[in-house]
Amino acid sequence: MARLPEFREEQEYRILRESAASYAANELAPQAEELDLEPAAWRVKKAISKAGELGMLSALVPEEKGGGGLDDYAFCVALEEIAVEEAGIAVALLAHNAALLPSALGEFEGLITGVGAESYPACLAFPGEISLRDGKVSGKVPFAFNAVDCPFITLIPTDEAGTRAATVSADATGVSAEPEAYPLGLRAACPGSLRLEGAEPSNLISGGNMLEAVERALYLGLAAVSVGIIRNSLRKAYAYARERYQAGKMIIEHQQMRLFLAEMLAGVEEGRSLVREASSSPELAPSMIAWLRNTARACQAATDGVQIHGGYGYMRDYGMERLMRDAKYCQMYPSTSQEALLRLLDMSETG
Amino acid sequence: MVATTLSERGRKLLRDFPALGALHQHDRRGIEGLIDLVERAAEYNRTVALPRALELDERMEREPDYFDWEMMREACKYRFFSLAIPEVIGGLASKYMVTGMALVVEELCSACGGIGLAIAAHSLGVAPVIASGAMAHWDTVLHEIVEEEKKGNPVLMAYAITEPSAGTDVEEPEFLEVAKIGLEAKKVKGGYRVNGRKCFISGGSEAKYITMTAATDRSRPLETWTTFLVERDMEGFSTPRVELKMGQRACHAAELLFEDVFIPDSHVLGYEGDGIENGILIIMAASRGPVGAIATGIARGAFEHFLAWTRESANGKRPIDEDRIRMALADMYAALEENRGLYLGHSLGGDALFRNAFTHPIFLSAFMIPRRVRASKPYASLLNSYYGKGLVNILFRYFIKDDDATDMLAKASLAKFACADNAMALVARALELMGATPSPERRWVEKAYRDVKLTQIYEGTNQLNRLALFNAEIAGTLKIEIPGPFKKGVR
Ligand SMILES: Cc1cc2nc3c(=O)[nH]c(=O)nc-3n(C[C@H](O)[C@H](O)[C@H](O)COP(=O)(O)OP(=O)(O)OC[C@H]3O[C@@H](n4cnc5c(N)ncnc54)[C@H](O)[C@@H]3O)c2cc1C
Repeated sequence: MARLPEFREEQEYRILRESAASYAANELAPQAEELDLEPAAWRVKKAISKAGELGMLSALVPEEKGGGGLDDYAFCVALEEIAVEEAGIAVALLAHNAALLPSALGEFEGLITGVGAESYPACLAFPGEISLRDGKVSGKVPFAFNAVDCPFITLIPTDEAGTRAATVSADATGVSAEPEAYPLGLRAACPGSLRLEGAEPSNLISGGNMLEAVERALYLGLAAVSVGIIRNSLRKAYAYARERYQAGKMIIEHQQMRLFLAEMLAGVEEGRSLVREASSSPELAPSMIAWLRNTARACQAATDGVQIHGGYGYMRDYGMERLMRDAKYCQMYPSTSQEALLRLLDMSETG
Repeated sequence: MVATTLSERGRKLLRDFPALGALHQHDRRGIEGLIDLVERAAEYNRTVALPRALELDERMEREPDYFDWEMMREACKYRFFSLAIPEVIGGLASKYMVTGMALVVEELCSACGGIGLAIAAHSLGVAPVIASGAMAHWDTVLHEIVEEEKKGNPVLMAYAITEPSAGTDVEEPEFLEVAKIGLEAKKVKGGYRVNGRKCFISGGSEAKYITMTAATDRSRPLETWTTFLVERDMEGFSTPRVELKMGQRACHAAELLFEDVFIPDSHVLGYEGDGIENGILIIMAASRGPVGAIATGIARGAFEHFLAWTRESANGKRPIDEDRIRMALADMYAALEENRGLYLGHSLGGDALFRNAFTHPIFLSAFMIPRRVRASKPYASLLNSYYGKGLVNILFRYFIKDDDATDMLAKASLAKFACADNAMALVARALELMGATPSPERRWVEKAYRDVKLTQIYEGTNQLNRLALFNAEIAGTLKIEIPGPFKKGVR
């Protein structure tokens, strides 16, 4: 592929990058098409289980609590590398880790069950209107990843200023999940909706601003996944542009193709910097900005990647059209871009 | 001023397309004919396209070989397969063939881009039979299409120019000259032996007749490019596979395989060696506007679903009550208007290009000969003979002038890429604004997102169309030169 200027990173991240890349190349690349076309639960679970070796099944849980103990940037590095092969799995892992986040941050009330590295992929029921009354959770979550066939669901009741989280077993009474009828993309992350009617939590966790923590993780993680999608678009389109001839020359020699590719290249660099910046800030705003820019870039990169492939880009076999679909879903969750923009202004005014 | 005797849809159409409203003052019958076509399309959408669009799209991801013949049989009732066939042979095309095509296509694609394409691809296949003046096939092939359609049997055509190694290259003379061409139609006694493949042919796997352009000498593609009429029963012809498309799935993109297929001389449309003009550039000059209409239709469908979503209330709030959503709706509306202006401008120009050929007395006089005679073998061989072709060519060249054709190609290419880019941006924005909301409308917009991307690719990529506009209009280096009568073969 196009060799990117080396991104300056400490040794530990580089090592993680390599192992995440080899996991993605070995476990995900060969079945990327199946993960999109027939993302059966067993297939997804099997693919995800291997990510445990990277610490990606409890990435954000500190080591002393038995987790993978990755810092935010390391988590993003791994997500980016995984998304280079299969963005759906990267997002499934992101949602899973975001669902574990409250247990990493907070103090448990009572016994913690069902929250562990083995019970994957967990669902983070966010965003949605959730209430916790008389020890029971109720509410609706219109769209969440890992919504079906998950072991447990993490919820953050919105009526409590977001300082507590609850986990609910997916088979508890009062919990119902509906898979998205025909998801556009990120199919391995099994998007769906949830309804909770007086479901009994298995754990209640309190402490800190849970709401903001999971939100930040989602924006940041999706920003990293988007960089992976841009890289994949660049890799595929660059290779194709050097192998396809039209008008008697490699299409990479047509300037418009070069411009598309150069934009992608710039997008990877810019995207990584934004992720790096945002992951070193505890604030929500930088992560939102990274998400805004990177998802827009990823949508463009994937669309241009299809264009570079001409008619072939529109066909499943070339794996390009999938990126267009995946990128779009990254941009549509956990909020719309305009909603994020409007909040951004509020945040900087009040902060 | 819109006449009050028109149906509501008719009045709306004239409001949506003020140019048509103006024309209506001068040509009531002609414009009301267009309104009638659009009404048929709307009725087809309501009864056939909309009820099956989502399910069919999903099914064809899992079963790409499936084809919904029922929707095509239903389309016969509305006579959508006769849109490009002149009235004299029982079709619907008269003064406003291109415009009618574009309006119908917008309407159909507002319900489903795939179903719209399945119907439109047929007329694209018909077009070279008309534009090349191959009248020998009008009373046989085109007549059969019309007659079978009346009985409810879709007899379909397709248009095949793309090859696995040459997509952009077959759409522009400068590139064709240096293109790597795989398929060859070698001259043999009495006809041509064809070997090779065409790919991505919309409706190619269902078509009974295919208009194909190909080189008779692969080492000189530009000089020897020729338009052929292929029949699916010809020995050695097959359609081994169809593609798994991201969108517009209701219509197959098929690979065509030619293994020593014999095509008789009578099946050369126009002259050997005039394929880039007669088989491609003239066709593109007429068809790229309607492709702009496909994009516009898909975008309009997405807009309508988006609008419905903005009126849904979540927790007592409706998106449409927000300022920013209203701004976005206005932008989208503006993009649709712009598109309609572009493609309608082109289509009316395209119709003017043919100078009312189909209703012209000179043209009609050729059809005073009884059909029985016109459909007979001796008459066909007369038309296919050197002098026969020359005479028909004189008639056709009377109507189509090189400069007009070139100008039309520029406008068509402009309409194509601008409409497609606007449509793509509109649909992408609609989804961005909707986000992952739980609305039945979102799925339609998601489908439109997949469907609309194709409009930037087929009928020449948007890059190629920009080049065509530049070459034909801005630089003036691309000129269509329609071969004059009595052109010799290329050997
Ligand atoms: C679903 C579908 C349906 C289709 N239906 C039909 C049909 O019915 N009949 C038919 O004949 N064809 C059909 N096509 C083919 C279509 O017209 C071609 O895909 C299109 O012309 C592009 O050709 P290509 O795919 O070979 O891309 P390429 O020509 O290989 O182009 C690849 C990329 O290179 C760029 N490029 C190429 N050459 C140049 C240049 N000289 N300057 C600048 N950029 C350049 C292109 O813009 C594109 O981005 C269909 C295609 C699809 C996907």
